[in-house]
Amino acid sequence: MTDPTDPILRIDNVQLAFGGVRALNGVTFDVPRGEIVGVIGPNGAGKTTLFDCISGFRKPDNGQITLSIDPAHPVELTRRAAHERTELGVGRTFQNARLFKSMPIRDVLRTVQHDSMRRSGFFRSVFGVGGSRQDEAEAATRADEVLELVGLAAHADKPAKELSTGMLRLCELAAVVAVRPKLLLLDEPSSGIAQRETEALAPLLRRLTSYLDATVLLIEHDMPLIMGISSTIVAMASGAVVAMGSPAEVREHPEVLSSYLGASA
Amino acid sequence: MTELLSTLPGGLVAGAVYALLAMGLVLIYKATRVPNFAYGAMATFIAFFHYQLVGGKQYAFHFNVLFLHVNLHKYVQLPFWGAFPVSLAFAGLLGFLIERFIIRPFAKAPTVTMILVTLALGLGLSALAQQWFGANDLIVSNQHAIFPRTPAFSIGGVNTSWERLGVIVIILLLAAAIYTFFRFTATGLAIRASATDRDVASLLGVSAKQLSIVSWVSGSMVAGVAGIALASLLVSSNPSILLLLSIKGFAAAIVGGLVSFPIAVLAGFGIGIVEEIVRHYGGQIDAKLFTGAPEVVTLGAVIVVLAMRPKWIFRGIRDDDDGGVTAGAGSSEFFLARLIDPVEAYRLLRAAVPSNATVTRAGRGVKFGVLAVLAVVAAIFPLLPLPGFWTLPVNLTLIYLLVMLSYVVVVGWLGQISLAQGAFVAVGGAGAAITANTFHLPFPFPIIGGVLLSIPISILVGLPALRLRGLHLAVATMAFGLAAERAIVPRFDASTYVRPPHWLASDTARYYVFLVLTAIAFAVAWRISRTRVGRSFFAIRDSEIVAAAYGIRPVRVKLTGFVVSGAIAALAGTMITYQLGGVSSGYASVTFSILWLGNSVVAGLLVIGGPVIGALLFGLLPELTKGSVSASSISFIPELIAALLLILIVAVNPEGLASMSRFVRSRATAHAGSDDDGDIDAIEAATAAATPDADDHELVVAGSD
Repeated sequence: MTDPTDPILRIDNVQLAFGGVRALNGVTFDVPRGEIVGVIGPNGAGKTTLFDCISGFRKPDNGQITLSIDPAHPVELTRRAAHERTELGVGRTFQNARLFKSMPIRDVLRTVQHDSMRRSGFFRSVFGVGGSRQDEAEAATRADEVLELVGLAAHADKPAKELSTGMLRLCELAAVVAVRPKLLLLDEPSSGIAQRETEALAPLLRRLTSYLDATVLLIEHDMPLIMGISSTIVAMASGAVVAMGSPAEVREHPEVLSSYLGASA
Repeated sequence: MTELLSTLPGGLVAGAVYALLAMGLVLIYKATRVPNFAYGAMATFIAFFHYQLVGGKQYAFHFNVLFLHVNLHKYVQLPFWGAFPVSLAFAGLLGFLIERFIIRPFAKAPTVTMILVTLALGLGLSALAQQWFGANDLIVSNQHAIFPRTPAFSIGGVNTSWERLGVIVIILLLAAAIYTFFRFTATGLAIRASATDRDVASLLGVSAKQLSIVSWVSGSMVAGVAGIALASLLVSSNPSILLLLSIKGFAAAIVGGLVSFPIAVLAGFGIGIVEEIVRHYGGQIDAKLFTGAPEVVTLGAVIVVLAMRPKWIFRGIRDDDDGGVTAGAGSSEFFLARLIDPVEAYRLLRAAVPSNATVTRAGRGVKFGVLAVLAVVAAIFPLLPLPGFWTLPVNLTLIYLLVMLSYVVVVGWLGQISLAQGAFVAVGGAGAAITANTFHLPFPFPIIGGVLLSIPISILVGLPALRLRGLHLAVATMAFGLAAERAIVPRFDASTYVRPPHWLASDTARYYVFLVLTAIAFAVAWRISRTRVGRSFFAIRDSEIVAAAYGIRPVRVKLTGFVVSGAIAALAGTMITYQLGGVSSGYASVTFSILWLGNSVVAGLLVIGGPVIGALLFGLLPELTKGSVSASSISFIPELIAALLLILIVAVNPEGLASMSRFVRSRATAHAGSDDDGDIDAIEAATAAATPDADDHELVVAGSD
């Protein structure tokens, strides 16, 4: 029978080569449900490529990725299109925040909920019937809720193009959260923002995780941040997992020391 | 076979002119990366100048100040070849002035801005030509023709004149000259280098300014030769016909990616020859049935070629040519419109003032107050003691209002440039005429029929938009607009006459019907802008990739936008049918589309208050001045002013007007005295919310460890 402690995501021997470069060389690990799992590794270790495979922007040559949002109904992801994965409950951010630049960010957060507004087709929306008003109200509420959560409520009426890099990142994070994924893939949320802001990220990520009741898979180069927030760390190098365990274990792992942190660390 | 051959001279000569126009466009684009939508107007302008010199005109110059009296009267008339160098010099001067005063200030502007600027330039030049040379047709008599119109030889019993032969020879010589220039001169090499990589070329000492002047001056001379030859070949022409023909030159140039001379020349000849064949055989079968068929075939082929996105078309283009209108027209807005638009004013107010219940209520009050005043004025308008000539202009204003609203939807919201809205007006008129005259259905049905007919046509026009953006979409929709104008308007003009019910025979009755229809269209547009549908439009405008990442399907959203916009324009078409009996080319031509796109940009494309201001400013005012003067002295000053305004508005920010809103908004926030220490604030707020002991009234879910 199913066990609620089943991993939410099973990555099994995923391989992907770009020409002669083996970007992913048999990656295998499980992502425990409800945890924040950090992925570390030097540049070119295959972290973002792995995210691309999970979110559907790339198709692995080999291997399986099994998503079990509902433990009773595991879904094999590799054959699904990217937008299907969004529907299945996978959300991701990018290394460079991607948003709708001209809209006030409150509208951005309503817009990203497009897919979940099932009662708001063209005619229903125009005439305000058939549940479209409830859809709109719910989307607006959720937008405000999420903006509050990431601390952007005061800037809700500003268009995204007027935001700084740091605020854009927060906004993108809010956008992904507004879609309410159960598995959240965050690709370097701290990149491009100041050190002082990075320190505020950890509590924010914790809050978002508990708001969504989601599992988080996080790529991050900021060691204090990722070691402080993750319950499990996956260390990758050259397209493979070299170590997995608690932050303390991984930090002391000889292969991690040599391949990533450098022997002197 | 001989019959097919007999169409060849006609096709060759038309093709040669298109090829020449295409070469001039490529010349300018290669050196400056400006897609010159004013090229046809330049050709027309020079042609008018030339034939006025040849035809003879009395020039008068008076200067009487104090004791200085100069009164010159000079009758100027030159023989054709005597006037030719003068006209070429004039063409060079025109090119120089345009480059120096209109193009150079926009040197770093994105392509969409350049499209708008050159469209405006074209409108201005063609209005100027009509103001200066008169609105009468240009007739080139036998004695003033470029070459004798006597037969030179004959194929299959059809004579070919020396004129046609001479034009082909001249154009071939010119093509050879342009080829030599590019192949063997230093300037030609510099232009080619610059076309390959502008930055590297300028680092190597190629002066972009110099190249720009050289190409505009020589390009303008090429346009002059083409215009002069074309006017002679047509015998009787007018600015709008010359403009339309030059669109085919543009179509040929774009098939060559605007950079390839050989492909542009081949495409020009191809369009000319195919057109002539279709015209010849179509005319044999049924001339009436095949009205517009040549344009439908050739321009349809151009659209299909574009939509296939062959590599050669997209290789030489500027990076942002393929980037949609986001940076330009899509974000353009006239701040006056933003302030008058109640919804937008309310939003600005909200952004400017810290939000609290009183302010929110006051904002809502202002919003509904403005709306209520507008509604009351509109409702009692015919009861006001206004002169009789007001009724027609007021009804036409409602029609213009809808045309501009259709632009707001497709350009402002969806971010897709369209030069085909006039075609949808024609489609609406056609649908109304078919419903009324073929199916004999009574009053409300022709309106519904017109709108319904626009839906499949919108999807047809929307299809290339799924694969094209920016410049290429502009050309594709322009080609569609021209084809529709030639194919639809002659069939459904006022001669088909849709008879209104007797109660709808007065302007006042029509006013109320139009008002209700306009109000419905605006209500629908307003609802769209406030709901998921509108947000999906804005999302596509801002970034198709991001939109797709959040499950918004670009294909569906774009087609929806095109259908809504087309239906609004078609509704305007049905209204024109009831007002004037049918849709004339004055309300359906490409020129009409361009003029009203320009007006929409000036008035504001983002908010539905824009069309209201635009219709009053560019619709009611000129119509009233037209109505009050006699028909013989039609003034083209309003068009001229509209063109100037468009260039000015675009000039305020060459980046594409986007900062208009930033300007207003930053002023608004400055007034509110809020400091804008962006991310630090945000992060601090986030931190505060996360810390358990902080004042966390805005905390939704407490952070847990």
